[in-house]
Order: sequence, then C-alpha cells, then structure tokens
Amino acid sequence: MALLEVKDLHVEFPTRRGVLKALQGINFTVKRGERLGIVGESGAGKSLAAFAIINLLSKPGRIAGGEILFEGKDLTSLSHKDMRSIRGNRIAMIFQDPMMTLNPVLTIGTQMIETLKAHRKMSDEEAKLIAIDRLTEVRIPSAEARLKSYPHELSGGMRQRVVIAIALLAEPALIIADEPTTALDVTIQAEIMSLMLDLCKTRNVGLILITHDLAVVSQVTQKILVMYAGHVVEQGKTADVIPAPHHPYTSGLISALPQQNHQGKRLYQIPGSMPTLNALPPGCPFAPRCGFADDPCSEKLPDLLTVKHRRVRCFKAETLSAQGSLS
Amino acid sequence: MTKETATALVEVKEIHKVFDLGSHFLQKHKPKVRAINDVSFSIYEGDSFCLVGESGCGKSTLARTVMGLLEPTAGEIHYRGQRIDHLKHKQRRPYHRSMSMIFQNPYASLNPRRTIQKTLEEPLRFHFPDLSTQEIKEKVEEVMVSVGNDPSWGKRYPHEFSGGQRQRLSIARALMVDPDFIVADEPISALDVSIQAQVLNVMMDAQEKRNLTYLFITHDLSVVEHFGSTVGVMYLGSLCELAQTKTLFAKPRHPYTQILLSAIPKLSCEEMQHSKLTGEVPSAMSLPSGCVFHNRCPYANHRCETEIPLLRSLEDGRAVSCHGVEEGRIDA
Amino acid sequence: MNRLKTALDSDFFYRFKTDKVAIVSFSVLMLFFLAALFAPLLSPMDPHDPIQIDIMDSEIPPLWSSGADTDPDERFLLGTDQQGRDMLSAILYGLRISIVIGLFAVAVQMIIGIAIGLISGYFGGRIDSFFMRLADIQLSLSTMMIAIIVLAIFQASFGADLYEELAIFMLVMVIGIAEWPQYARTIRASVLAEKNKEYVDAARVIGLGAPTIIMRHILPNTLSPLLVISTVQVANAIISEAALSFLGLGMPVTMPSLGSLISSGFEFIFSGSWWITVIPSVVLILLILTINLLGDWLRDVLNPKLYKG
Repeated sequence: MALLEVKDLHVEFPTRRGVLKALQGINFTVKRGERLGIVGESGAGKSLAAFAIINLLSKPGRIAGGEILFEGKDLTSLSHKDMRSIRGNRIAMIFQDPMMTLNPVLTIGTQMIETLKAHRKMSDEEAKLIAIDRLTEVRIPSAEARLKSYPHELSGGMRQRVVIAIALLAEPALIIADEPTTALDVTIQAEIMSLMLDLCKTRNVGLILITHDLAVVSQVTQKILVMYAGHVVEQGKTADVIPAPHHPYTSGLISALPQQNHQGKRLYQIPGSMPTLNALPPGCPFAPRCGFADDPCSEKLPDLLTVKHRRVRCFKAETLSAQGSLS
Repeated sequence: MTKETATALVEVKEIHKVFDLGSHFLQKHKPKVRAINDVSFSIYEGDSFCLVGESGCGKSTLARTVMGLLEPTAGEIHYRGQRIDHLKHKQRRPYHRSMSMIFQNPYASLNPRRTIQKTLEEPLRFHFPDLSTQEIKEKVEEVMVSVGNDPSWGKRYPHEFSGGQRQRLSIARALMVDPDFIVADEPISALDVSIQAQVLNVMMDAQEKRNLTYLFITHDLSVVEHFGSTVGVMYLGSLCELAQTKTLFAKPRHPYTQILLSAIPKLSCEEMQHSKLTGEVPSAMSLPSGCVFHNRCPYANHRCETEIPLLRSLEDGRAVSCHGVEEGRIDA
Repeated sequence: MNRLKTALDSDFFYRFKTDKVAIVSFSVLMLFFLAALFAPLLSPMDPHDPIQIDIMDSEIPPLWSSGADTDPDERFLLGTDQQGRDMLSAILYGLRISIVIGLFAVAVQMIIGIAIGLISGYFGGRIDSFFMRLADIQLSLSTMMIAIIVLAIFQASFGADLYEELAIFMLVMVIGIAEWPQYARTIRASVLAEKNKEYVDAARVIGLGAPTIIMRHILPNTLSPLLVISTVQVANAIISEAALSFLGLGMPVTMPSLGSLISSGFEFIFSGSWWITVIPSVVLILLILTINLLGDWLRDVLNPKLYKG
C-alpha cells in the first residue's frame, strides 16, 4: 500500500472576482522510502499541493475535491486535532525559511526537548540524549554544545539542519520539503540535499521535494511531477522524464538551463511568462507559449495521456516524441 | 594573451572595504566587518567579467563600490585610466553616464510610484537636458523594443508587470544613456527558470549590439560558465582565483573553486556526490589568520594558517591565491 | 473616465464599499465639511456680526425643548446663547473655524515634519541625531503646556485686541509647531526603509543629486503612512484648539470656535441652558469620532501586514 495517495486533488481560492482554481486534479502516490519531486515556477501551485496535504492552506484557500489518503486515512476528512497529531508525528514539514519552524526566543535544546515530551512521556535527560543523537545524525558538529544555542546564533545552513533534526524527532514516515535549499549557498545546498537523501534511505522515509530547480530534482528524486498553472503537465519516473521530456514545457525548461546550451551562445528560451490564475487561457494553459500549439490546443484542455512510461498533458506528445522534436 | 596589451576599461586596485557596525557609547571597540580585503582585478573592453561567490563573500559590496554607491576604505577604482573613486558628485557625472547598473530584485528596483515612461526618461533627461520630447520618446521606444518589451507600456506602473518584464525594464533603464559598462548584481537570481534564459539573452544581445562590458555578480556557476569570459572567485572578501572562464571550468586550481564547482547540481539522473566542504563560512567580523579559507581547506598546513597568500599568476594566464598551488602541493 | 473606472474598480474602493463603519463615518464627515464650507449660505444669521444679534433673544431653548423658562422661538432651531446669538449659525461658523484651524495646523506640522524627517532619514549621522534629540525634547513637553505658555505670553504682552485679530493664525502656528515630531518620526522611519531599496540606488547610479532623489523618489513612497497619521493629527489639532479655547486661550467669544462655544455656555449649564454647551460638544465629539474611525480604517487598508494577519 502506498504511504500517501493523492487522488484528483482540487484546491481553489474564492475571491471577489470569482473562484481561482489553483490546483486542478492532481494525482500521485508516494511509497515508503520513495522520493518524489514536484517542479514548477512560482505560482504553478507546487507549494499549494504540499500545504493541502498537511491541511495548512492559507485562507481563503480550500480543498474543493479529491482525496488525500495517508496510511489509509483520508486526511481531508480528519478533525483538526487528529490532523495536528499526524502533522507533528507522521508527516514532517521543512520550509524554505527555517525560522518558520524555529522559535527565535527558545534555545535549540528547549525546542527539541519540548517537541519530544509533547509526543511521548520521557524525562528531560532521555529527551536530551535523543536530541543530541538527532543533531549528530544531521551532521551538526559538537551537538551537545549546540543545544544551548539560539536559532539566530546559527548560520542558515545550520538552522536548516536543526529543522531537519526536529523533523526526525517524531520518526516521521513522510517528509515534505518546500524549497528547503533555495535560500542557501550551493555548497551548503549540496550538503543538505545529500543529507536528506541519506536520511530517506537509512530511515526508509518518503520524501516530497518541492523545488524550482530541475537539476536538484534530477539528482535526488525517483519520481517527478511537473506543474504549470495549477495543472500537472508531465509526471513519471525522473529517469524517464529528465533525459527525454515529452511535454513542450518540460522540454523548454530543461533546454533553457545554461548547462544545456553552448557557451556564449543565446540560450534556448520559452517566450512569455506563466499566466496568472485569474487569466488562464481556455484550453491548454501552455498553448500561448508553446511552439507546437495549434487550434485544438487553445480550445480544449488535453487529458493526461500515457506516453512512453509517463503521463503527459499534451495532444501532440506522441507525435512530437515520434518526430524527436523535443530532444 | 592579447589582452595584456589592451588597456583595461575598469581597474580595481587593492580595494579594502570595512564597515563599522553601529557603535555604542558604552562599547570601547567598534565591531568592524571586513567585507573586502585587498582585491585587485581589471576588466577589459568587451569582457563579461563574472564575480562568483557565496553569500557574504563581498561580491555585491565590490560591485557597489565600483559603481560609487559605496566608498572604498582603501584602494582605487580606475575607469579608462582615470581614478574615479575619490571624485566629487559633480565631477563624477560623465562616469554616471557611461557606467550603469542592473539590480537583483525586480520588485524593488523600479520606483513603484512612477510610470515606466518616467522611470525610463529620467536618465536621459538628466544627462541630455537638450533633447526634445520627441527625441526622448523615440529613444525610449528604441530601447524598449531592443529588450523585448512592448513600447506602449509607458503609461503603466511597475506593479502591473511580471518579474521577468520588470527585469527587462530595469535593463532598459540601464541602457537608456548608451553606457559602455554595466554592473549586473545577481540580475537573474530572483527570477523563474524559464524567465532567466530570457533575461540572459537580452543581456547578451545588448552586449553584442552595443559593445558593452559587463561586471556580472552571481552565485550561480552554471550561469558563469555560459555567460562569462573572465571569472573571479571570491571567498570571504578575498579573491581566490581569477581566470578565463574556459580555463577555470576546465580545471579549477584553488581548493575552494574546486569545491564550488563540484557542488553545482547537475542535470543528470545520477545521485549527487557528497560535497567535500566541511564547516561554516567564518564571520567577516573576525577573519581567520593567514589564508581565509584555511580552516575549511583539506590541504591547509601551518603556512596557510599564518601567512596571507597573494594572488600569483600561473603560466596558463590564471591567477590563484593559494600557498598549496604555489608550492605545487596541490597538483596541476 | 478611464481613471475613474480604475479607481472604482480598485481594492481600496472595494474595501470602502464593504465596510459600513467607513461609509457612515465618511458620510458624516463629509456632511460636516460641507456644512462648514457652506456655513454662510446655511446659517440663518451671521454670528460674527454684532448688529444681527439681539440681546433680547438670549437663552432661547431649542425648538423641541419644553419646560424651560423661555419658550422656543421658530427663528432659532437650536436655540440661542446668552448673547442672543443663534446656536445653529454659531455652530456652523464654529465648525468652520475648528476645521480650518485643524487642517492648517496639520499643514504646518506636515511641512516642518516632512522636511526634517526627509533630511534626517536620508542623510543620517549627526544631522539625524540633532533633529531626533530635538524631537525627543519637544515630545517630552506636552503640546498643551507649550501652547498655554506661548499664547498666555502673547496675550499678556500684545493685549487682547491684537490677540483677537491674530487668534486663528496664532493657534495654527502654535499647534502646528508643537506637534511636528510626530510627522518627522514617521517620515524618517519610512525614509530609512525606502532609502535602502534598489530603486533609490538606481537613482544614485544615474547620478541624480540628493534633493532630486529625496523629492522625486523617496517622498512619494512615504506618503501612505502620512495619510494615516494626518487623520489622527487633524483630530488632535481640533481637540487641542477646543481645549485651548475652553481655557480662554483660543478663539475669542466674538468669533467662536466649537471650543469657545462650549466654554462660553459652560457657566450657564446649571441655570438650565444646557444646549449652549451640549450641542456644540456633541458636534465636536462626532467630528473627532468620525475622523478617528476613518483614520483607523485607512490604517487597516494601507497596512498590508495588518491585513494579512
């Protein structure tokens, strides 16, 4: 059985100018120990998917349809109390800004010990030992001394490690990481990512990694979900999608990376920018920017079709792949 | 290298920048941040000189010092052979015309209360007060088209545009007075992936058409590899390695450059390598003795702890400040 | 037309439309302003003209009132005061004077405060320290104390006649000068926030001089907090003026503001002529209340942080 199964998830934001459909029918599963990457530009809805799972959608956002099955239970129908206990225990969240999780006026030690004691009965001494153990696990040097530090005394990378250590206190089955390294430097990003990768493997924890960085996703995850304007446009195994994308958007994103272009030459670019949710075009949301679009594309939204081991939301996926136009 | 004979457009000579942190009358010693320590380099005409480094390495401070937004604590900035860092506001005016800047945050770099037209006209009206309204209008249109923007946007306000459009407007403003030299401070790091390519292309097109020289500040090495002709790698206020882009990426020599290069996430479906860098960047308020990198460097020895390495040229044209490279301990 | 359409479609207008308190206070305030503006047209008589006042009409109660010594008179809707002045006219003219003093005093505060705030914030260093310490000193002396001292000295040294002529001007200047630190501090805080933004750097890179950058780039971006404190300050200035008039240091009885009306009727309140004091008081309270409610609403709308939280 899958650890997490998201079925046809819809999220919408009622506004005074009408309802914004922020997520339109997302499906995916995460097994224990499996790593899923959700990629997209800002505003594509990738973070919303995560917030919907843990029931932390900011007002007035709401889940408008679909099921979120976590260990067999539908999270959309849980009470706030039950949801809270799942959120702290079974599902851990890591945000871009570590200070969203850390309390600036308490020491790292206090925060970790209190978290532990809130979930299980134990003495301060036992809790402290576990805390030190977790800090060591996330490769924080001189962990015992660090317990006495306040969050502001640590660097960004260290804070993110502490957040991961706190996430591990409750032995979660699933970690949702929303742009965990976007604010960090490359060398630290590499360390945090390899740390998370190791943790997922050794502890057999599921990971949902939300990021805009295709390169990171390609190195960390096994499955990938590419989002565009609230829709999934391509989804499949990372090893299938990244080397041979079948949606023009995925392909465009990859081709636009400087690494994929000849040095000093013009970069491949996708024209225009992603439409905002209140100005979605009819039909395929990518059609106005797509070089292959024709009339049907701008009239009707394509379904997710299965093409070469992955699901693609494009009428022309099959033809384009046969022609090899997207390589 | 033919560049040795050419005169440099911009020369940065032994620049130091120290910030005094807010002093308090009860404190005896003012805390000081040594943001830039003895950095020198030259930027030649037509170059895209990239400064890379992690946050806090002083690259943005250096860019702002070159533009005159900050005064260097010591050292000189030369433009076409003329020293400019000590000039008074009025004397500096011709240099304001030939040097321009593009900023990181497209949401903060355009005045939210001014229309696009007014923002774009401002540099022209200031530097060329004799131009007629018609000439100004034509120039604005020409520049707007050249950066891929619709010239009819003039009456609108910045908040009506997306990040990529705003960054192109910011580039347009920088191009209005036909500068020779543009400092771009992390111009694409706040943008989405699909927009980054658009903005880089606009910048490269402008360079080709207008014969521009760039000082490009970034933390993203993959952009440097694509965009830069010369690279300077900075760490904690010092320049570690200075080389032609191809030379540097073919074989980085400074241990920090090597680690930085290995940390770039690559688009491959292989699992990532562990980064070899241990420890944290020390605070610029208390710099390590000797080589600033020694406490994280896998090759450091006693000399590295005590003696500050100088930037020495190697035979392939690059310059490295590392005792290990100089002594041949770190293999070529 | 197009501009009007954008304005009507804006969030600002939408939030105004959906907030009953805002609509009611705005309407009441507008009513007061219009009444003050058209006072000469609306008033049955000119209360500043002694010829039109007949002492025989003194202390006539309002029309609806009964049981007083004198019977109500149809000419005087709100009754008359002890001099036989029509209360309605006196209140309309008084409202006019109070609002004028409030607005002009705030204008003086604004001009001084904005200038000092901009200079302090932009240049920083010693200039900043000097002005801010000056503001601290000013704030440690209460507005009323300064006003009372200055006005009392003026009255004593130049005589009551000259004082009566210059009363409005004096009140505007005293209230204006005494309260500049509020503006200076608000402006300085926003300048400090704005001057580190990249658009200011962009202006410096162009080579613009400090005065141009301050006036053209920074000032327009510091205006929304100004709007909020201005509402509060107008209310405060009107209250200060009323208080000073009540103490006999404000507007003379011949040209009464709301404060002097309240004050002049106060001695008759126990002899049964309550209307001379109570009606202007109600008007004053309503005026201040509506301005403050509107100010609160503005602050909520213009401060997105408050809105999100």
